[in-house]
Amino acid sequence: MKSSIDSASRWFYRGAWGVATRLFRVPDRPPTLPALGGGDPKSFQPSPKFLDYLLVQFWIGAAIIAVLIVIGLVGISAGAWQAGLALLPVAAVLFLGGVAIGYLAIHLRYDTTWYVVSDRSLRIRRGIWIIHETTITFENVQNVLVQQGPLQRFFGIANVRVETAGGGGGAAAQHGGGGNMAASAHQGLIEGVSDAERIRDLLLARLKSSRSAGLGDDLPLIARETPPSLAWSSEHLAALRAIRDEVVNLLA
Amino acid sequence: MVVRLRSKAVHLKVAPMPVSTLPSASPGPSASASKAAAPSGAGKFDASQITRPDKSLLKYYLLAALLTGPAYPIAILPLIFKYETLKYSFDDTGISMSWGLLFRREVHLTYRRIQDIHLTRNILQRWMGLATVSVQTASGGASPEMSIEGVLEAEKLRDFLYAQMRGARDEGDAGEIDASHRPADGTQPEAGRPGATAASQEALSLLHEIRDALRELGKRK
Repeated sequence: MKSSIDSASRWFYRGAWGVATRLFRVPDRPPTLPALGGGDPKSFQPSPKFLDYLLVQFWIGAAIIAVLIVIGLVGISAGAWQAGLALLPVAAVLFLGGVAIGYLAIHLRYDTTWYVVSDRSLRIRRGIWIIHETTITFENVQNVLVQQGPLQRFFGIANVRVETAGGGGGAAAQHGGGGNMAASAHQGLIEGVSDAERIRDLLLARLKSSRSAGLGDDLPLIARETPPSLAWSSEHLAALRAIRDEVVNLLA
Repeated sequence: MVVRLRSKAVHLKVAPMPVSTLPSASPGPSASASKAAAPSGAGKFDASQITRPDKSLLKYYLLAALLTGPAYPIAILPLIFKYETLKYSFDDTGISMSWGLLFRREVHLTYRRIQDIHLTRNILQRWMGLATVSVQTASGGASPEMSIEGVLEAEKLRDFLYAQMRGARDEGDAGEIDASHRPADGTQPEAGRPGATAASQEALSLLHEIRDALRELGKRK
């Protein structure tokens, strides 16, 4: 019984994923970063515990809504029991439909969240309807935050938030760094990873090794524009020879 | 968005200005830009070729304005104006973008000042093969400083911008872009050029001779 439900739900989910990738053009493959001579970029997804975490949150929310619906129905029934009885199937259908859609959405959300970390930059893809891809180089990172709530601590996961210069992070911070807000501001949110310390250390090592303090150094551009040519051309050598001859003549 | 555009444009008092007179760092903008893009594996992608949005952007605007419902005729006009006047210019140091018919707006930024790049595709844009590449610099505000719309090769453009961004390659890599401009302070470039080595050796021996001769001269005094 259990396995048949499992396989049915897996079959259903594969269908939903097929619709998402073919009809809704959700990219099927993980994002990559162009390797610019800096290590090989590594794509990964949030920890599987993150899915459990989202589902626990989801079921808690669903239970609260169910209790509220029951209380509401009991309240209505106390007034007119026929109305309560009539509303019961409507409420049940709406609730179960909402649960199914929410459950599907959480799985899709998990499967469409990708992080790519190379040794000098970071790319985050997130979203189902609106797909956000954020690219940040570590050189531009101003600070790194690690956030962990009690439930996340229980699951052994944490969020790493990477912030670049510029304002506008306020709205996302107020919303607890929720999905789409995070993509619009000057930050990248690496949600639900079990090795937050490693990612934090990687970022911090990169930040500390950077010689510039902050915004917009254009050293490479300047270096490119002024070729510091120390090679001796034939004119240099001719001039040097002439000097040598002069000095030698002085001696003689 | 329309409101923001107008209010800012009023303050800026931007005079209508043909995009051909936009300041550009060099007459041949493609030279260095395409050279820098080559190592990123972007193939033949040349950002300097992008001057106008693709035609499908207008279709996208027409469809997106449908969402406003009865306000459609009012919502669509600024979008049509924006599409008709939208111009991009990618040179070897930065991006310029201008649009607007009555209220003109121009945005200029340099690649090195880019803080983060966002590629956003909603479902309509995915169906039409479009995307919005939002480029953010370190100025305040959560809204992006520049939203490049209507580029079909948005991912390549994004990776091109990423390659130009600060920190995407380290300073040593700048030499890989153009080896002849590499600072010749190390022995590495000379090893590749035997002629230069011979010349510098001769120069050194000449300098030694001059030094010795001057030393001799000093002793005689």
